[in-house]
Amino acid sequence: MQIKKISLKELDLEDQRFRFTLDRPDEKFIRSVKEVGIIEPIIIIPRKTYKVLVSGWKRVEAARVCRVIALPALELEEKIDDLEAFTLAFFVSYGQRQFSLAEKALAAKKFHDFGLGDRDLIGRILPHLELPPERRTLRILLELSSLGEGLEIIHRKDWKLNTAEQFLNFSDEERKWLLDLVKKLTHNEQKEIVEMFSTLRRRKNRGLKEICQEPEIASCLELFKKGRPEAGGRLLSLLRKESRPQISGLNNEMDLTIKGLRLPQKVNLEYDRTLEKSSLRLVLEVESRTELEKLLHSLTEKLRDERWQRLFEILNHKGE
Amino acid sequence: MIIDWIKKVYLERKVANSKEAKRILEKLKGIQAEVVEGVETIKEELRFSADPVGEGKQILYLAEQKSFIRPCPCTPGCVGCGYWTIDLDLNCPLDCSYCILQRYLEGQPLTIALNRDDFKRELEAFFSQKKGKFLRIGTGELADSLALDALTENSVYLAEVFRGKPEFLLELKTKTSLLESLLGIEPVPNIILAWSLNPPAIIQSEEKRTAPLEERLRAAVKAVASGYRVAFHFDPIVHYPGWQSDYQKVIDTLLKSVPSEAIAWISLGTLRFHPNLLTIARRRFPLSPIYDHEFVISWDGKFRYPRPLRLKIYEDFIDWLAEYKAENKVYFCMESTQIWKAFLKKIKRGKRVSAFPFPWQT
Repeated sequence: MQIKKISLKELDLEDQRFRFTLDRPDEKFIRSVKEVGIIEPIIIIPRKTYKVLVSGWKRVEAARVCRVIALPALELEEKIDDLEAFTLAFFVSYGQRQFSLAEKALAAKKFHDFGLGDRDLIGRILPHLELPPERRTLRILLELSSLGEGLEIIHRKDWKLNTAEQFLNFSDEERKWLLDLVKKLTHNEQKEIVEMFSTLRRRKNRGLKEICQEPEIASCLELFKKGRPEAGGRLLSLLRKESRPQISGLNNEMDLTIKGLRLPQKVNLEYDRTLEKSSLRLVLEVESRTELEKLLHSLTEKLRDERWQRLFEILNHKGE
Repeated sequence: MIIDWIKKVYLERKVANSKEAKRILEKLKGIQAEVVEGVETIKEELRFSADPVGEGKQILYLAEQKSFIRPCPCTPGCVGCGYWTIDLDLNCPLDCSYCILQRYLEGQPLTIALNRDDFKRELEAFFSQKKGKFLRIGTGELADSLALDALTENSVYLAEVFRGKPEFLLELKTKTSLLESLLGIEPVPNIILAWSLNPPAIIQSEEKRTAPLEERLRAAVKAVASGYRVAFHFDPIVHYPGWQSDYQKVIDTLLKSVPSEAIAWISLGTLRFHPNLLTIARRRFPLSPIYDHEFVISWDGKFRYPRPLRLKIYEDFIDWLAEYKAENKVYFCMESTQIWKAFLKKIKRGKRVSAFPFPWQT
């Protein structure tokens, strides 16, 4: 092993056999490379007539952007096999940062392809990845690793194992469509949409395509096509209504009844939206005693409204 | 036979040569047995299985246990029922799709504690510590009380330990009909034999390897005829198309064959589960429809049916039970004060913070 300066031209960057990290260099990193160049050596290994990058993808990419011609490299001996080289690449990065689930999936796949047995992968590698060391985890990771470009989305929005497992229950076509749909949404929105589509698909015993042809959902999906910013929120509330019809129905009735009361602006009437509690919470915002008196007076007047009774009836509703 | 499912036995080294181990191994002739230092070796092995939970139900581990008695943890925010549990067995050979043990004991093989002397010492200390109090205690929390009884013979052993201690009610809760050993001894008045009940449709689809409803009810009738008191648990109650007529039929059949005077208590609890169970259950029981229902995440982080639906279900149950004057035997398992309050008048008793004591104690 020796450290030497290497030109980017000597590397075959098409050969990504050891690559499992998906982070790109951010602006801060690029600025630092522009200022001082690459200090920490990348790791390379000779294979046939060229050298393969083992570790340091972010540095190499930053070097390319900054047009750094030569960078320090630690060259491993050629006799080191791919599994050993990858193990090194894995543990070098392991000490530096947390991996996303997508990266964990790629790492598991590389170990698997380089010949590490399932028992070693489950017993030795999965605990390092902080995932349940079981066969099913390995199955999920290997399946996830084959998603190709979709992995980028899963990486960027930091999906967790449970979401991934539900996602993998969709067909290949559905997965592609779903990833394309949610790619611009937040982590929580993606998670909820995957969960709710998964529930609806099971409950209705229909494919995603059929579900999405339902008029309300279809019109919401049109908003996605038009790139409208409200599309995600609209789809979520529609799916919540579909997957939790009883609670959504009662919430809707509560909201309309509260609205019908036309309470003063500084009065807020709240309730537990899961309907586990049967009480109402009244929040008043006042800045003086006079204002409080006025508000209470106005509320007393409003108490004659029959809608109050209706609110408590809804909160104490019994039924299917 | 449920024990025919067992495909391998592990013995903890400490107890491998004990009299108890030999007695159990004698009944499992032909099954491979291996001595291990501890349960970790087995858990390690189970990790490589495609279904560690299912596999764990086929592996028997005979071991020493550190402690046995603890208060039932209930759930924060729920009305507790003052129950105590004895854990002589851990895990259950029956395979119900909704069973929380799938998550709680994941990776734990069927475990039988062999250090009965330690257990007896702990129990005697418990008896003297709780002297003068009236307590319910049971073995059906982390296991089925009778599923492995042919091997453990725990039911008769416990019956004799509890005999003559009227203030301590021992509940043996099961989904089997394996009563033979207990019917062969002089009945113990403070032993309550209890069955979890569900309509045949649910038993068929969700309660793998359990006894059919009619067998459970026949066993209950036999128990009463032999002089035991009995209890029933409608838990979990599952909401599905046709649930009302199915559950009502179960109640009719039950109360036409078992006199309500012989019933010590009836618990009601609708389906509820920790979100982590959902992943395991969906994986292990992909065809089960019970998890596709509408749920809310309630105050304790568990999925439950929406409160309006739970109220409706409990109201119907109490009405059906009232037709047989059995409504005052009811308590709710792991329910909120909101639900309890709705039924205090109807079930003619109850406190806001504890389901205990029961009417026949006050």
